[in-house]
Amino acid sequence: MLDVLQNLALGFSVALSPPVLFYAFVGCVIGTLVGVLPGVGPLAGISLLLPATFGMDATRAIVMLAGIYYGAMYGGSTTSILMRIPGEAASVMTCIDGYAMARRGRAGAALAIAAVGSYVAGTVSVVGLMVMAPPLARVALRFGPPEQLALLLLGLLVLAYMSSGSMLKALAMAALGLLLGTIGIDQMTGYMRYVYGVVELGDGLGVVPVAVGLFGVAEILATAGAPTPPAVIKPRLRELLPSRDEWRQSTWPIARGTVLGFLVGILPGSAHIIASFVSYAVEKRVSRRPQDFGHGAVAGVAGPESANNSATSGAFVPMLALGVPSGPIPAVMLAALMVHGVAPGPLLVHNQPALFWGFIASMYVGNVMLLILNLPLVGLFVNILRVPYPYLYPAVLVFSILGVYAVNGSVVDVWIMLIMGVLGYVLRKLDFETAPIVLGVVLAPLIELSLRQSLAMSDGRYAIFVEHRIAAALLAAGLGLVLLNLYTFARRGLDWRARMALAEKGDSP
Amino acid sequence: MKRRFSFVLAAVLVLIGAPAAAQDAYPTRPITMVVPFPPGGVADLTARPVAAAMEKVLKNPVGVVNKQGAAGAVGMQSVAVAKPDGYTLLLALSSISIIPEADRLFNRPPAFTVEQFAPIALISADPTILVVPADKPWKTAKDFIEDAKKRPGQISYSSSGIYGTLHMAMELLSQAAGIKLRHVPHAGAGPALTAILGGHVDALASGPAVVLPHIKAGKLRALAGWGDKRVAALPEVPTFKELGYPDAEFYIWAGVFAPKGTPEPVLAKLRAALREAVNDPEFKTSMEKLETPVTFKQGEEFQRFFDADAKRLAEGVRRVGRVEAK
Amino acid sequence: MSVGRVSGIGLAVLALLVLEETWRQRLPLGSVASPGPAYFPGVLAVLLLAAGLAVAALGGGPRVASLEWGEWRHGVAIFAACAFCALALERLGYRVTIFIALGFLVRVVERKSPAATLAFAAALALGTFWLFDTLLRVPLPRGAFGF
Repeated sequence: MLDVLQNLALGFSVALSPPVLFYAFVGCVIGTLVGVLPGVGPLAGISLLLPATFGMDATRAIVMLAGIYYGAMYGGSTTSILMRIPGEAASVMTCIDGYAMARRGRAGAALAIAAVGSYVAGTVSVVGLMVMAPPLARVALRFGPPEQLALLLLGLLVLAYMSSGSMLKALAMAALGLLLGTIGIDQMTGYMRYVYGVVELGDGLGVVPVAVGLFGVAEILATAGAPTPPAVIKPRLRELLPSRDEWRQSTWPIARGTVLGFLVGILPGSAHIIASFVSYAVEKRVSRRPQDFGHGAVAGVAGPESANNSATSGAFVPMLALGVPSGPIPAVMLAALMVHGVAPGPLLVHNQPALFWGFIASMYVGNVMLLILNLPLVGLFVNILRVPYPYLYPAVLVFSILGVYAVNGSVVDVWIMLIMGVLGYVLRKLDFETAPIVLGVVLAPLIELSLRQSLAMSDGRYAIFVEHRIAAALLAAGLGLVLLNLYTFARRGLDWRARMALAEKGDSP
Repeated sequence: MKRRFSFVLAAVLVLIGAPAAAQDAYPTRPITMVVPFPPGGVADLTARPVAAAMEKVLKNPVGVVNKQGAAGAVGMQSVAVAKPDGYTLLLALSSISIIPEADRLFNRPPAFTVEQFAPIALISADPTILVVPADKPWKTAKDFIEDAKKRPGQISYSSSGIYGTLHMAMELLSQAAGIKLRHVPHAGAGPALTAILGGHVDALASGPAVVLPHIKAGKLRALAGWGDKRVAALPEVPTFKELGYPDAEFYIWAGVFAPKGTPEPVLAKLRAALREAVNDPEFKTSMEKLETPVTFKQGEEFQRFFDADAKRLAEGVRRVGRVEAK
Repeated sequence: MSVGRVSGIGLAVLALLVLEETWRQRLPLGSVASPGPAYFPGVLAVLLLAAGLAVAALGGGPRVASLEWGEWRHGVAIFAACAFCALALERLGYRVTIFIALGFLVRVVERKSPAATLAFAAALALGTFWLFDTLLRVPLPRGAFGF
């Protein structure tokens, strides 16, 4: 304990030195900007700014890049809440209840809760990173393809809790999303599936164009031509802050989201978006008023936003403790370290204590900076809602096209966004939910790859899922959950058809 | 009369010389170097010092643009069809020879062909090395190969993707040594490394820089290398050539290409610029930090290296064939 | 025809299309022990077919004819503007394309004054370009004219 404190003291002395502080601040500002811009997420932001860091000192470079990373998680909720456009893929869940809160005049409250939740999650998860990195990283490494598959299947169960309407329709949308996720090069055999000669589709549709299209563009297509334009909400200062009740409602979701996000972030191969989806489902499951979800439940904003921030720290655990990337963003940061002559690996903590602890300390500092940056900005951002819609939506479209194009520099992505926008519009009219499609597009390649990798590892034997104890335990837990739900279902005593019909007629938004 | 003649002569010479002069004036605009891989990868990290050094030599901006997708196919295709005026260059890895071959294998119209490029220079040629988890019983490559012969199809290895560079390296070894291994493709070099560190696969062919820290920390053991010479940082690790498998030669190399049809004077200028660029001290330091040795080849030498490498890889891809499900 | 019926049938048709395409592209199915590229999409298509048929069977929802499509003209105009952007972005360059698209949306679709349109379109096109291309070094396309 004492040496942790000593190391922290060293770290803070590095982190609070003016140049490092400056670069952390720059990273946070850019990160917020990157997060606010629809489509462009932290990966694109970090990749684009990586070259600019080549001339810098290693600590400053890594502090700035990390600032962009978790800063984007703060900013991503802004457009999600105000305009139902995901600032980055991980903010998709915030679009649902965050926007509903905004429509009810609680935009400021939603933004504030998102900011505070992100701060708590960010700070607490750094403590976890600091204290538990090496043992956690070793556990994370033991998650191979069979364990990943078991976890992802559990993630699929999340779908059952995501729908506020008909579960059957949500399942259909999930199947559609999973199918869309199979487009591209088959990683196991090299066959191209449903690509029709478009080389850019080789990597699949991409979650960013799909999310921005299904949520953002569809929203604009639906509202822009409406006979009565959306009421311009003129918020008053008092309404900007969450009420005491809303704060109370967000404490537990923030706590749960923090833990969940951190655990999901550690696992190699997981994506941030999974953290927020899982958090949303958990919150809905434990809530006393699940019917609120989809219509402005505070927990639906607090949980996912906290989850995706603590997933950021989780992602750093394998990277710093072992030099192993758990996803594309840590991979870029590892490359940044290598370029600066810092060899990442298990000995990083020993060889470069100033870098490691400076980095940790700067994450604490960065989170504070972001909180200070974002809270007053709530008032500024909410004023965006005052802009008359005929001017607002073209501007939003420009930013969406810009953001989606900037990720890969590819016009094909813009087309995907547009087509998904039309699809999202039609689906809304036909009373289908679009969130399961996004989850499907993300999960399909992961699930298929882990399954086939596991079978390749075991030479075709499904017994591998029983032999690997962690995988077996997770699968058993999943099966148990499904059975439990079926049991509760049956106990209610309703004919399933009548229940479906009730659900159909019931919660139509 | 004489004066008019000399005037006309002079005018004709100027007119003939003008296009040549325009080429002499190359470069007049910023040059774009396309890197068909995401930022932070091997190609990207090699391209940036190269571009920076070229900029110094040519006294003209050289900007790096990442055009990633489809394991490099998107970016490579874009340069294959770009205007051959010398303002668009490509920094490609060995996959440039693999992708068209894989396309042919699947009877797809190839995204591009190798003939659509004019090679300019080779910058680096990283030999791949074979690593296994430290707790595995094989102490030498010989042990490994013998065990593989005894248990065909039982020893697993990860790779960055099917027909990718790490896969092809292993395939060349398997074909040269007559062994059969079990391939578990992963989505990129990062996940492939994670898999072996977690003990989920038994072996990995990797560029030395990424695995060196883990070898030093005692988590991985290097058995042999695919290069012509031993890796400088691992002098006690033999090459497969030394062990009697000369066909198992594989490098993850990075080279600069231009679209075919770029005028000869422009190409000559670029070659000269690159020759100077690799001697730039800042460039050398950057490459050292990346632990990537600079192997500079040009003209005839590069052409021979490239052709031999392409032939090996095409053969390898053809022998792997389509992975038909059992 | 109720919404449920139509959408269910639509999904079922889509599922059948996927199965047909999988067949036409000759993706190998493989086996349960070693699934090929066609396996996963095939299973999903069957699931989608089942779900689609179930949704169609349940019917439910208002009649399709009664749905409010009032905004479709607006939607088409917006889509057209965005499609123009996608087509012109790399040919005409970012600034020109966005300027024209915004001009169209604000002047023609939203019927705002020419002055307001000009100011808004120019400000946004040039402003975003400066912010992202110049300041944040996000490469945005410059058209054939270099602008």
